[in-house]
Amino acid sequence: MRKTGIVLLSFLGVVLFYFTFQSAEKVFRSDWEMPEHAIEPVNQHRLILITKNLDTPFWNQVAQGAREQAQKEGVSLEVWGSYGNNQEDFLEKIEVAIYSKVDGIIVQGMNSQAFNELTKIKASFYNIPIITIANDAPIEESLRRTYVGSDQYLAGQMIAKQLLADMGSAGKVVLMSDSQQEHYQKQRLRGISDILKDYPDVQLVNAETLDSREQIIATTQDILNRVPDADAFVAVNADFTGVMVQEIGKRFQVEPFYIYSFDDGSDSLPLLEQGKLDGVIGQSPEMMGTVSVELITKWLRDESVPFDKEGVLTDIRMLKEKEAR
Amino acid sequence: MNRIQKKIWSLTLVVLFIMAIIWTALTYYNQKTQDQYNAILQRYLSLNEVTVASQALITDLNDYLLQPSEANLNQLNASKADVQNAKGDILILKNEDNEFVMANYMNLIDSLMETTERSFMYQNQQETEASANEFSEATRISNYISETTLTLIDTELKTYERLYRQIIEQSNELKNLGIWLLLLITFLLLLMSYWFSKSITKPVEKLTQSANELAKGRFDLPIKVQSNDEISFLAETFDRMRVNINNLFLEIQEKAQLEHELQQNKLLLKESQLQSLQNQINPHFLFNTLNIMSKKAYLEGAEETSDLLVSVAGLLRYNLKRLDKPVTLHEEVIVLKQYMEIQKARFTERLHLHMEIEESFLGVQIPGLTLQPIIENAVIHTIEPAEDGGNIWFRILDSGDIVTIEIEDDGQGMAKEKIQQILRGDSGQTEGQSTGIGFSNVVKRLRLFYGQEDVIEIQSVIGQGTNVRLKIPKKRRNDGND
Repeated sequence: MRKTGIVLLSFLGVVLFYFTFQSAEKVFRSDWEMPEHAIEPVNQHRLILITKNLDTPFWNQVAQGAREQAQKEGVSLEVWGSYGNNQEDFLEKIEVAIYSKVDGIIVQGMNSQAFNELTKIKASFYNIPIITIANDAPIEESLRRTYVGSDQYLAGQMIAKQLLADMGSAGKVVLMSDSQQEHYQKQRLRGISDILKDYPDVQLVNAETLDSREQIIATTQDILNRVPDADAFVAVNADFTGVMVQEIGKRFQVEPFYIYSFDDGSDSLPLLEQGKLDGVIGQSPEMMGTVSVELITKWLRDESVPFDKEGVLTDIRMLKEKEAR
Repeated sequence: MNRIQKKIWSLTLVVLFIMAIIWTALTYYNQKTQDQYNAILQRYLSLNEVTVASQALITDLNDYLLQPSEANLNQLNASKADVQNAKGDILILKNEDNEFVMANYMNLIDSLMETTERSFMYQNQQETEASANEFSEATRISNYISETTLTLIDTELKTYERLYRQIIEQSNELKNLGIWLLLLITFLLLLMSYWFSKSITKPVEKLTQSANELAKGRFDLPIKVQSNDEISFLAETFDRMRVNINNLFLEIQEKAQLEHELQQNKLLLKESQLQSLQNQINPHFLFNTLNIMSKKAYLEGAEETSDLLVSVAGLLRYNLKRLDKPVTLHEEVIVLKQYMEIQKARFTERLHLHMEIEESFLGVQIPGLTLQPIIENAVIHTIEPAEDGGNIWFRILDSGDIVTIEIEDDGQGMAKEKIQQILRGDSGQTEGQSTGIGFSNVVKRLRLFYGQEDVIEIQSVIGQGTNVRLKIPKKRRNDGND
């Protein structure tokens, strides 16, 4: 009786001691130190990549390439930008980047007074090099150091050639482009028309629209009304692709139309996989990121010959339905 | 000796010690947490300070641009200093996670200062347009600073999220610790109090038990208390007292017994004296008459009769004088011989007495008139009933530390009941007592005199004879006590 009592009491004592010490250890364990204060000054170059279309597959790849390269080069890089083509936000980001006196800005080109003013005057004032990426802005207006991205003129030509190959040398072709006439769209259009002008039976219809969703819908409907016998559509601005295909699909079967686009819109590749698009120009977004960071780093380290004014062109290729799968 | 006090002190000290440990630990923990909170709060406050200072700077710049007075200029300069101070304060907030944003932030502040400076300069140069432009730019930068502040705070939150969660977790754990600690201390204190109280009350309980035993009169149980404090001292003293009481008690008992024996002895003596006085009316007259008769017989030439009368007178005198005092064996033997002479005159040839006496032990003390009644008993039972007489042997022998007095006869013997009666000391009717003292009286007196039971031994076979042995110690047990 007495023995069991003692055993029970000791057991109880041991249990209490165990839990108390366990608890005390948790309370007094001090591994929650504040993160180390970085004492050494930031020697690294700070780069910023700014885009209008954050979180689209195309730009994610660009950002990934840029980040990998930045890590390799030992510079710090941040990706800023606006969502869904929001230009006001986009411009603000550029302005903040300039006021923040970063060492280099890699930016998606844009054809606007405000953009040019920022890059030409403000950036120069703070002596910040600017590289355009994916979409160019003319050097005379933006004073950008160089351009890294696809040869948009060539891309337009490839589309046109593919169109001829698919459709034949006769038909009505609707070209959907931005009314703001971005530089890269102009080049794409130029490429297309340069090829097609040799084919008198191919009739080009230029449809220009503002880039809000309602406007695109309206324009597409208007075109379908005006040109009911169109054979082919080219979304010169890849962002239009999804809405355009949707609107065509509301009226006709999508399959008989020849529809082409570029891969820098978020809908292009899924639509190609579904067979709704006949061809998409594939660019090399990762390469763009990598090369742009590499170039700007080199320039910052004074290692490089002056920038190529024309730009560094990356690969493009025509993606057909079956390739995309 | 202050053991119990020591125990109480040590218990109190242990409790105090535990409380001190807990207090210290909690204070330490509290201080640590407080510091942590302060550091975190300080970070947010510093960040906020920048926003506030930059906005104040814009306001002051605006005031100055609208009204370039001395007071406003001073205000503006003060604001600039504030912004610089705030910028200095946030330098320490830089860490790996916010390095980039922090660098931007610093540069934004620099840009703000520069722009402010330019606006101020243009104003002084009267270039109002340019000044206004710079002012709007500064306003925008100030807004960017506010935004970046938010971004930084956001980053801070992310960076420290784990930390914050841990703090919450730990303060929850602190509650648990409190509960466990309470349980543990309660347990320990209960246990310690139990032991402590037991170490005091158990010996007391034992002591109480012993006291109860003593009260009931049991003095022979030793008092044992296992303890190392005052109680054990008390118990020892108590035990000593018990032993002393026990000894006193025994002594008193012994004394009482002795007293009792003495009383009895005296009573027996008185009885004997009374009886002898009753039996012998005017013994002195008888004694004197016997002496005259002896002389008369001697003068008449009857010498034998004269001697007999002298023996009778001697016996009578001895009987009268010596009853209440111890005598030597020698005196007793002389009286015995006188008595036997008288009996010889009575029985002549029928009585054969054989005596064997070790002379060296005749100094031993015995009560008076012890041998005569026994011999008389032998004569009555041996010689009187037998036609042709009988033999009586009287021996005094040495048997170690006692002297054996043996009286043997070859008479008709004694019945067992009779022997038992004599040995028990029952004074039944006695036959033919010449001295008034019976056999059983002798036995009682011997026992009282020597203070022991084993003084006599009687062996008898009916028809063959009786052997009575008296065992007389050479030294009396309580010599000198009376």
